[in-house]
Amino acid sequence: MARIVVDPVTRIEGHLRIEAEVNGGLITDAWSSGTMFRGIELILRGRDPREAWIWTQRICGVCTMVHALASVNAVEDALGIEVPDNARLIRNIIAATQTIQDHVIHFYHLHALDWVDVVSALKADPAKTSQLAQSISDWPKSSATYFKGVQDHVSALVASKQLSLFGAGYWGHPAYHLPPEANLMAVAHYLEALHFQREFIRIHAVLGGKNPHLQTFLVGGMATSLDPNEPGATVNPERIDFLLEVAKSAQAIVSQLYIPDVLAVAAFYRDWFERGEGLGNFMSYGAYPQGSIKDPANFFLPRGIILNRDLSQVHPVNPENITEYVAHSWYEYLEGNPTAKHPYEGETNPKYTGPKPPYEHLEVDQKYSWLKAPRYQDKAMEVGPLARLLVAYASGQQEVKALVDSTLAKLKAPPTALFSTLGRIAARALETQLLANQLAGWIEELGNNLATGNLAVHNGQNWDPKSWPDTARGFGFFEAPRGSLGHWVEIENQAIKNYQAVVPSTWNAGPRDAHGQRGAYEAALLKTPVADPERPLELLRTIHSFDPCLACAVHVVDVRGRTHARVEA
Amino acid sequence: MRDSLASDTVVIGVGNTILSDDGVGVHAARKLQADPRVPAGVTILDGGTLGLELLPYAADASRLLLLDAVNTGEAPGTLTRMTASDVLATSAGQSVHQLGVADLIAALALVATRPQEIVVLGVQPANTDWGASLSPEVDAALPHVVNAALAQLRLWKESREANLGTDPPSLLPRQSSEHQPLSKPCEKESL
Repeated sequence: MARIVVDPVTRIEGHLRIEAEVNGGLITDAWSSGTMFRGIELILRGRDPREAWIWTQRICGVCTMVHALASVNAVEDALGIEVPDNARLIRNIIAATQTIQDHVIHFYHLHALDWVDVVSALKADPAKTSQLAQSISDWPKSSATYFKGVQDHVSALVASKQLSLFGAGYWGHPAYHLPPEANLMAVAHYLEALHFQREFIRIHAVLGGKNPHLQTFLVGGMATSLDPNEPGATVNPERIDFLLEVAKSAQAIVSQLYIPDVLAVAAFYRDWFERGEGLGNFMSYGAYPQGSIKDPANFFLPRGIILNRDLSQVHPVNPENITEYVAHSWYEYLEGNPTAKHPYEGETNPKYTGPKPPYEHLEVDQKYSWLKAPRYQDKAMEVGPLARLLVAYASGQQEVKALVDSTLAKLKAPPTALFSTLGRIAARALETQLLANQLAGWIEELGNNLATGNLAVHNGQNWDPKSWPDTARGFGFFEAPRGSLGHWVEIENQAIKNYQAVVPSTWNAGPRDAHGQRGAYEAALLKTPVADPERPLELLRTIHSFDPCLACAVHVVDVRGRTHARVEA
Repeated sequence: MRDSLASDTVVIGVGNTILSDDGVGVHAARKLQADPRVPAGVTILDGGTLGLELLPYAADASRLLLLDAVNTGEAPGTLTRMTASDVLATSAGQSVHQLGVADLIAALALVATRPQEIVVLGVQPANTDWGASLSPEVDAALPHVVNAALAQLRLWKESREANLGTDPPSLLPRQSSEHQPLSKPCEKESL
């Protein structure tokens, strides 16, 4: 038996440590430890709830807007505010843009290198690579000259010893199965995706202000001006055309690069349709309202729960049934370890009882993570694109069903193949396709409202704190790129009394609960083969398939012990 | 609408403003945004904790100044100046667990529209726990960061006008080193 430790897990946003027991080449148990210490309520207590979103968008280093959206949803829920149709559309557009952007970055820049050997790409024949690319897609950049250019670019990087983004790979590992030409094609598309995401995020610059952080959220709607005749308005006919053009570029890159690349890679790694299956419980809060946010039945991606891989039944989500355990987390509840607390009653009393660093192993029988263990009706849940897709599929969502069935047919795989590491990757790609299609539809709806004079974008009712009750509480749900995100706010005397956020990676990366039930990562790692414990590439494949994000932690550049110029007297 | 999101010279303050000193780069950027001494035509942005997402703001610039908290193990408030290759040298050999500044710089090498000169001004944090304000040590260093950033921007402006090459770091203003040493510069790093 060997204990392997991966700390930090690389190519993720944030800091994650995995310990796993390996017996006979297979993982037999695993522990996930996150170093995020959540304490947003310490910052928010006493503040005006209308400005909570400005603070919460700093919780996460990557998907800042999802916390802004969950926050305004929570405050609107507490104060009984409904937003106008245009605000709903703009929020859907902004959120879908974020998710598409995130998914493309995840596949090409964070995850592909678990499957693609960059060094092998140097041995590829550009002419054969061109044939391969043209056989799977009509993406125009596919000539032998183009692939030769990419190969030369990567050769130069390798020669300069500045592998940069490609620096942290297990190149040459026996678990890499792609031929050199497929590797070169994927590396070329890695660069294409970098260029794409640069252009694509301009949707946020248009709708959110020329600033990396969106400035236009507002409790009651959006601070976005709509005017068909005003060239200076944020949304006018010219801008609608621009947004549509960008949305179409997303449809093109997803259908011509992302989906064909996922299918091509999957064909060489079919065993991974049987690995990493995990909990078998999936939850989605639902997202993208097509009407009132109070009625999840109209959401483009439905709300629901699937238990024990049973796609014949979708269970409802009752927000009252969400609790968090700290039995294996470095916190104390006033009522003790075995209790579980609803976020409204949430407490954050950190108490580190782990080993003193540097240490070899965590005390996994005791507390071993800064993440709490969220549960739904005492069950651990997987959240994220696969959960959303499965809930939509089992709910009979037509677009989802058609796309999933046709993709499974191309892969010659049954629906049960989705319960796997590759299933997560495929689900993320398919969701990107669905959202890219939907994005254009929402932009057109916005354009129609503009054309018919429906210009309302903010509901000022209950904006004035004098109109608020003495006490109020509400929750805001959203499906962030990585899964179910919930914010809970309690307002008293016009100020925030308590605020809790339960983020997607807490569901997925959280530790065991008081009953010893594993979290989603821990369960998914069971039975994963590890050929070389020194280079646990297979473990990373399964963990990365969740798109781990613990970037709610510090952002300091660490250069201790490295060359740097000091500026001082 | 194909206009660039930023100008030729871009300053981005990065860091998390709700994790105390981690946000020093953003605080410095905000000060610069209100500072009349900043040469005309410079874009100054609050980059928060974004990494690759900052590409559209940085890829068209020929001069990029990043302001960030940097853990050098020196006394809190100590100011550090690094070039792009310094940052890449620190990250290439060790695992990159934050898709932050190092990854942004690495990605820029792949997608930038022209050769870029990139400088990182970093400040050693004292405290990166939850909190919306800076520690006294780092707060005291803030004017030095602003001055160093202004000096860099002036240098770039002058070298542009004179069409000259690079700039030696010794031209940057000196700061006092009256800071208390810190036993554990960044406690969370070690947990």
